[in-house]
Amino acid sequence: MKFRGGYNIHLKGKPDGAVKVMPEPAILHLPLSSERFTFSDIQVQDGQKVHAGDALAKDPDNHGVPLLAPRAGTVRLKVAENHIVLEDVAQLEERADITEAQLLHVEKQMGVSGKKRIQLLSLGAWQFFYDAFTGALPDPLGTPQAVIVSTLSLEPYMTRGDAQLQKRLLNFTRGLEHLQSLLEYQPIYLVMPDITSEFATLVRNQIRGYAWAKMLEIPLTYPYDNFAILARKLGLRSHGGPVWAVRTEGVLAADRALTLTKPCTVRIISIGGIGVNAPTHLKVMPGYPLKTIKEHYVSEPAVRVISGGILTGETLADGALGIDTECRGITVLPELQEREFLGFIRPGWNRRCYSPSYLSALRMPFSERLTTALRGEGRPCVACNYCEEVCPAGIMPYLIHKYLYADLIEEVEQARVDLCVECGLCSYVCPSKIDLQTQLIDAKALIEKEKEEIRQEQLRQEEARKQEEARKQSEEKTE
Amino acid sequence: MKWLLKVIDAVRPTFEEGGKLRLLNPVFGALEHFFFAPSTTTIAAPHVRDPMDLKRFMSMAIISVVPCALAALYFFGLRFIAMVVVSYAAGLTVEALFAMIRKEGINEGFFVTGILYPLILPPNLPLWMVAVGVAFGVFVGKELFGGTGRNLFNPALVGRCFLSLAYPKTMSASWAEPGQGLIGRLLTWNVDALSSATPLAAAKQGETTSFVHMFLGNVSGSAGETSAFLIILGGVFLLLTRVANWRSVASVLGSFAVLTGVLMARGVVSEPMPTIFGSVLWHVFAGGLLFGAFFMATDPVTSPTTNTGKWFYGIVIGSVTVLIRNFTGYVEGVTFAILLGNIVAPVLDEIVVAVRIRRLRSEG
Repeated sequence: MKFRGGYNIHLKGKPDGAVKVMPEPAILHLPLSSERFTFSDIQVQDGQKVHAGDALAKDPDNHGVPLLAPRAGTVRLKVAENHIVLEDVAQLEERADITEAQLLHVEKQMGVSGKKRIQLLSLGAWQFFYDAFTGALPDPLGTPQAVIVSTLSLEPYMTRGDAQLQKRLLNFTRGLEHLQSLLEYQPIYLVMPDITSEFATLVRNQIRGYAWAKMLEIPLTYPYDNFAILARKLGLRSHGGPVWAVRTEGVLAADRALTLTKPCTVRIISIGGIGVNAPTHLKVMPGYPLKTIKEHYVSEPAVRVISGGILTGETLADGALGIDTECRGITVLPELQEREFLGFIRPGWNRRCYSPSYLSALRMPFSERLTTALRGEGRPCVACNYCEEVCPAGIMPYLIHKYLYADLIEEVEQARVDLCVECGLCSYVCPSKIDLQTQLIDAKALIEKEKEEIRQEQLRQEEARKQEEARKQSEEKTE
Repeated sequence: MKWLLKVIDAVRPTFEEGGKLRLLNPVFGALEHFFFAPSTTTIAAPHVRDPMDLKRFMSMAIISVVPCALAALYFFGLRFIAMVVVSYAAGLTVEALFAMIRKEGINEGFFVTGILYPLILPPNLPLWMVAVGVAFGVFVGKELFGGTGRNLFNPALVGRCFLSLAYPKTMSASWAEPGQGLIGRLLTWNVDALSSATPLAAAKQGETTSFVHMFLGNVSGSAGETSAFLIILGGVFLLLTRVANWRSVASVLGSFAVLTGVLMARGVVSEPMPTIFGSVLWHVFAGGLLFGAFFMATDPVTSPTTNTGKWFYGIVIGSVTVLIRNFTGYVEGVTFAILLGNIVAPVLDEIVVAVRIRRLRSEG
């Protein structure tokens, strides 16, 4: 497949392939919101004792996706704002928050496939699924036009697929088969870095003879593993129906939920970045205290702790106490402390740059020590075209920036700001330090809002028209 | 350098809102950020940024013309230093005044204009004219449009264009014989005002200048444009750093060479050198074409942004240069050709963007 743009940032502190098990926590702080979900529908009471696997809260806007208790314990609702706290945590037998009878009932109504889907949802495996185009949680009862399974994560630093797959290859292929059983004839695209590797050969041997699985090799350049880009490259269109996208952990969770009927509450997250003394992967559960992780791994005093990667992740505020249910990695970045003297005339042997304007262009790729510095002053756009060159979605960020500056919303929409995959590379390369990514995201939201308003207005008019007609008809009748 | 940072931090309140010298804040900011990288940090994703900033971007352009500037010293004497100093002083004054009025920082773009401008002037030009030209160029060519990034025309070329229209006699009488030998004119301040014809002007009178001399640079001409070798050296460096886009250069030179070759084959254009290929190259090396192609047409702000637009932009510049040089009273046409290119650049962008947007409509 041929891709556009893209760029790899080499940051120091790459996590190794090992997975370390963190010590059992005494208390869990489960955040009530994560990237996609807001668990507003609380299912438990203060002081209630729960088992591992019980649903603590649900998100009514996202098909009722549950927040599961990872361990047995006592619920405290008012200890920390926006968190459910589990005290006296104990590692007891976990149970599914759905009974056999309920499942049988579902099976009678919706068939085997429906039963499996409900199982995935209630056991916490469904939250690993994405709609490739929108990034939202897809409808578990819907029918996708295709499924994309990706074993990659190219943003520094998110959990790597090879770390998760250690000794679990069988689970992975079994998970793939489970996924297939949900579909009728739709293909599953398996995206890999190297389809001739040992791992790929093993997977191919396992799924040999299955026509539904197609292996795809993509270059290891950020952000080619982005689901929207992959779907577009595969020729899938959003009007053809949803495309389910899932990463390694999702396939493994599907296997656990459907084979063992057990809740999926353990996550493997990466911890990496410059401020980490031993970058690695951690086996933790949602709600695991961030403090403990910081004590173990963060070495530098002034750091920014980011949930997710350095390009798209979100800064963890001081109020965040535990790992949220969607966390895929923690990146620690030192804050800017020292201002560089005459930085723009330095030869720059030790800094990597998108344009080969530093001596480092003569070196092989190397990892750089980066801080949160903006590294330059904000300036007007000089039309250097770097943002267009690096954009994986094939849009023109500088053009949209100029339209936004002139308040030309309609032109912004025509320039297809909706194709933006929010990878952050345009902001990263901009020599004028314009925050293009934020501007594009805001513009997308604005246009979406306006469209929604128009839709609502149309609905209202339709409604009014119908009422008018009904009134006329009734008047005619009375006459 | 801790002491310098301390001094800067100590005097900062004087220049900030409410301080005595708050009008000079842009000047202070420029000085502070000249020495120290700004202390701003990222707020949200992406949390890290590329080390490239506008200062680096512009210093790459300055580094790339250093060989030409040194050659100007060698060929035309140390007076060139005075021209550079005057150019920077006059231009920076205008730039700083506008920065104060607009309450924005002083933009780095001027530092490139300040060095490019004297390089395209005749080496014997009176210094007051250097000052007038650059002030006009920065004022009309850039500041009236809103400063670096928003200007339509290349300010250095606007300045030169103004001079050649306002003082045509002085401009054409300010050429000088280039220095020769081991030290050239490195020890002389002023070149005798004895004017000598540039290769293109000489060619119109039937005299041919040696190809080798034009390659090395010891011919008459603007201060920095005589040595084809050094221009190509600096230009290739600029292309390698990707500060300049190779498409503009390739299409300016390509279209110029093709059109000249065609006209020569039909006997319309004179052949100063015997072989066809050699004579096309002679035209490429003559006058300001190479300098214009590498350092003026590649200005990202005034050229089209889209890569396709850059190809057409170069074709406009290349072919207009051929037409002006061979079919008008002017011997040199690059300045006008690039300014004309600047005018059509937004139009070219508009067309390319319209096509791109139509193609984008079917995506996703």
